Amino acid sequence: EPNGAGLCHVTLGVEGMTCGSCVQSIEGRIGALPGVFHIQVSLEQSNAAVTYDHTRHSPESLAEAIEDMGFECSLSNAASAP
Amino acid sequence: MTTHEFFVDMTCEGCSGAVTRVLNKLDVKFDIDLPNKKVFIESDKDTDVLLETLRKTGKTVTYIGPK
Repeated sequence: EPNGAGLCHVTLGVEGMTCGSCVQSIEGRIGALPGVFHIQVSLEQSNAAVTYDHTRHSPESLAEAIEDMGFECSLSNAASAP
Repeated sequence: MTTHEFFVDMTCEGCSGAVTRVLNKLDVKFDIDLPNKKVFIESDKDTDVLLETLRKTGKTVTYIGPK
């Protein structure tokens, strides 16, 4: 359930990253999107944990933004949680 | 058809893979030189369009010029 501030959390599977530079590119670009408050990308687990404003983003739109960067993104654990 | 030369700050296979995927969506002919961090794109599209596409990867991109 989103809380009063509209914050949601989602973990997306990201394929195609091989180094720290890939991780930084994603964290930098997705983290700079309006409505994205926090992003943590893990190279070891091939995923991205994102905290976002649910009025501006959805797990689908975030996955699309990552796909747009040239990585394969799946809604592996798309259950939104506060 | 012109071949445009770009500098793209790629450091690994993952970076060049990302560049490959965004360029595949644009439907242009291209060649990636990972060790030299260069991307050659054969296209009549505006260089701004090509630059914008390469920048989608979140990497530093500069246009060097026609080859």
